[in-house]
Amino acid sequence: MKECKIGVYVCNCGTNIAKVVNVEEVAAALGKIDGVAVARSYKYMCSNPGQEMIIQDIQKLGLDRVVVAACSPRMHEPTFRKALENGGINPYFLEMANIREQCSWVHDDPIEATEKARVLTSAAIKRVQYHEALEKRSVPMCPATLVLGGGIAGLAAALELADAGQQVYLVERENRLGGNVGRVDLTAPYLDSARDLLTEFITRINQHAKIAVMLESRLAELTGYVGNFQARVEDPQGEIKELPVGSVVVCTGYKEFDASRIKSLAYGWLPNVITSFELEGMIRKGKILTKEGKVPQYVSLIHCVGSRSQEYHPYCSRVCCMTALKYAHEIKSAIPNSYVSDLYIDMHAFGKGCEDFYRKSFEVKTMFLMYEKNHPPRIREAGPDDDCGMFIWVKEQLSGEEIEIPADLVVLMVGMEPREDSGDVAHLVNISRDKHGWFIESHPKLDPVATTTDGVFIAGACSSPKDIPDTVAQARAAAARILAKIAKGEIWADAVYAEVDEDLCSGCRMCNELCPYAAVEYDKVKKRSHVIYAMCKACGACVAACPSGAIKARHFTDRQIFAQIEGVLPWHSNHVS
Amino acid sequence: MAVRVNPKFIDELEYYGAQDVIKCYHCGNCSAVCSHSDEVFVFPRRPMRFLQMGLQAKLERSIDPWLCYYCGQCSEQCPLGAEPGETMMSLRRWLISRYDITGISRRYFKSPKVELLAVILVALLTAVGFLIYGFKYGDIHVYDGANAFLPASFIHSFDLWLAAAMFFLLAVNVIRMWYFIMSKAGGLHIPWWLYIKKFYLLPWQFFTQKRYSECESKMKTRIFMPWLVHLGLMLGYVIMLVLVMVFLHRLQAGPAIDWSVHAFGYLATVGLLIGTIYFATSRLKKKQVQYEKSQGSDWIFVGLLFFIVLTGVFQHIFHRLGLEMIANITYVVHLMCVVPWLLRMPFTKWAHLVYRPLAMYFAGIRRNALALQKDEAQLAGPVRQAA
Repeated sequence: MKECKIGVYVCNCGTNIAKVVNVEEVAAALGKIDGVAVARSYKYMCSNPGQEMIIQDIQKLGLDRVVVAACSPRMHEPTFRKALENGGINPYFLEMANIREQCSWVHDDPIEATEKARVLTSAAIKRVQYHEALEKRSVPMCPATLVLGGGIAGLAAALELADAGQQVYLVERENRLGGNVGRVDLTAPYLDSARDLLTEFITRINQHAKIAVMLESRLAELTGYVGNFQARVEDPQGEIKELPVGSVVVCTGYKEFDASRIKSLAYGWLPNVITSFELEGMIRKGKILTKEGKVPQYVSLIHCVGSRSQEYHPYCSRVCCMTALKYAHEIKSAIPNSYVSDLYIDMHAFGKGCEDFYRKSFEVKTMFLMYEKNHPPRIREAGPDDDCGMFIWVKEQLSGEEIEIPADLVVLMVGMEPREDSGDVAHLVNISRDKHGWFIESHPKLDPVATTTDGVFIAGACSSPKDIPDTVAQARAAAARILAKIAKGEIWADAVYAEVDEDLCSGCRMCNELCPYAAVEYDKVKKRSHVIYAMCKACGACVAACPSGAIKARHFTDRQIFAQIEGVLPWHSNHVS
Repeated sequence: MAVRVNPKFIDELEYYGAQDVIKCYHCGNCSAVCSHSDEVFVFPRRPMRFLQMGLQAKLERSIDPWLCYYCGQCSEQCPLGAEPGETMMSLRRWLISRYDITGISRRYFKSPKVELLAVILVALLTAVGFLIYGFKYGDIHVYDGANAFLPASFIHSFDLWLAAAMFFLLAVNVIRMWYFIMSKAGGLHIPWWLYIKKFYLLPWQFFTQKRYSECESKMKTRIFMPWLVHLGLMLGYVIMLVLVMVFLHRLQAGPAIDWSVHAFGYLATVGLLIGTIYFATSRLKKKQVQYEKSQGSDWIFVGLLFFIVLTGVFQHIFHRLGLEMIANITYVVHLMCVVPWLLRMPFTKWAHLVYRPLAMYFAGIRRNALALQKDEAQLAGPVRQAA
């Protein structure tokens, strides 16, 4: 092996590292190791002067390897790789030693911490000598997008993409667009018409040259990888259409909770116990009536039906509180001499304009009654002498009283749950689901619309219960992410990925099922597996599993890892003795 | 047993002045600031919740509204403007109408116009009756003694009949009040001897209104003004009532001043005048939260009382000045105010004169009975566990 010229840079990180680790001592000790041409400590390596120091050393001293002992590589590895590139050497000739998170932040003893920093960095020096020059590769990006689901999310995403001039295939299972929003009359908290919101979207979509709407259709198969998917969509006649797409947006939404599962609420047994969607239907028809055709005098809204309960769904369905308040307003305006009671656990009015809306519900004299999770309301039929059809038993929390409220019509605010086919969809597009069945995002806060599969995005209530603003925001965010990829024209894959040595591969296919990213493909003709590098995340699962040792992870080769371990071992043996 | 909710109840209470109770979100600031609220009688928060929920049956049995004197601190502290003080006031009005068996009270509270009309009608009938009597049996130029226009003996017997009628109506109401509050005490056993043990509370609270003075116990600067004025008004009223009912002959005699009765009369008049002027100007200026919302019946209350005192004073002066005919006419006007005023008593706010001390008495008994029950439970506790 050719002798390397290594530059070692020990960062003070202000006082973050320097207050525990004696950085000068570490730099001095490492400077004596064979192959190390220069070892320096500096206040902030990530600063411009710090990076400039590395670039200058590469150019003046002819360094061909660089070790930076600083923070976690998650933080600044890209920064220093860029510095290497600017200095004129391959960026993968960098190795970082984490002496902040793994050293100064977790240890108090300066002597031991300094020793550990020295050892970690010398292990990095050992490893970096085995680094190979790696090149990033790109694949072309297909600009067409498949949108699954024609609800408000799918419509918003499709329009955003098509308005930017890109082709969209909008696939909807039902025979109409609009999804669950299409079943709603007004929206909370501003009481705008849901139909108006949808009509504008649907009209534009039907006229849009760049959107192909496919009703009563379903995705049969999705193969390929980011930028180069092949979607097979089955139309109503059972014919399969092959669609090349670069990205997929999953907007499959939710279904409502089946209220008949809760026996104490008597849904399906007492005719005037209805769900929120049934009330929407009545409001849309313009008449709120009991099954007997009478105008109800007492209307009760029961929150959290199926939500926030250990027995059914532990999560909050987010939209029901405001929807219930909307009903209070709608019922009061439709039947001015009615009495509306609202049975809630907690009132969640967090959205824009929602708290005001809650206050306004007091003005229309809604009787708010707080019940406890563990004592849900019970509904029973009233007697012939009562002036109401039913009674609801409630253990009211704010008064501590057990009460019975008269009711002619009871509206159950049914929560949201994943669709029955969410498992099939997840399997088709290779994304994960949480324990409830909602699709999982790449990062709940920082990457809420991407998934673990590159090129497959999720938007709206298919990932968790959401209101219309959040759903539309997610749909447009997903579209923006896709448009950014299309604008680049190609997908750059990281140079770090797994490779199969086809000469060693026995075609056992163990790695095929193991790969969490479906990046390993089996070639039936060659009877060998190979990795689609654009999809590989370099997790190493296949490398470890391969019984033939045929798979190699670039930048994580056995030799590199053994070298690093050897770098640590002398330190270990010193301590044992 | 679950309590039946009456969703319409909150609408009903609007007539009695509870306009803002719906705004309450139960932070409990009102109960925290109240000097009278404690662990047994929690208010205004609890009655406000009951009212929001339409728990009419619970409120009917409630003693809480009577334990409040409306100092107004709760309404000042309320972050939502739900007016807990006014709500308690409206509950007192409603309770008065519930205790009243005739249903007249309810009609009055629902429409001040009806009440005003009734007052005017009674006043006119009174005037006609006394004028007919006066002109038939007496001389308008004679105020006192033989041939007097309105002789003391006649007025005295009229007063007694009126008092008897009032007493009867009030007695019925008081029994209803006792029935609501004490007989439906919610499973609480009340030994009979507690009624005797706690009886002292009745005169004690009636004559001192000590509880009213305690309203200010949590305030930084205590002025005791509302309490003192109220006490003066009430004592003045009671003294005047005793004078009129028992010593009318001597009161009406003249023109010499009989200090043994008139001294008390003057004293009572001062108390009544200060009281009525203080409450009338407070209501006009709305200087404190408790005076901001005056109902029709409040104005009739203050207004009538003021005219009674004024006409009483003037007839006394005219008589002393020897202006007997003017004194007689003033006397008729005075009676035109007094009779409707007395007749209103069982049906209006006026009745709190009786209900409030009674409520204090009942509250004392309830508190004692609860303590007994607790002691018993503590004694019986371990035994029951063993069984």
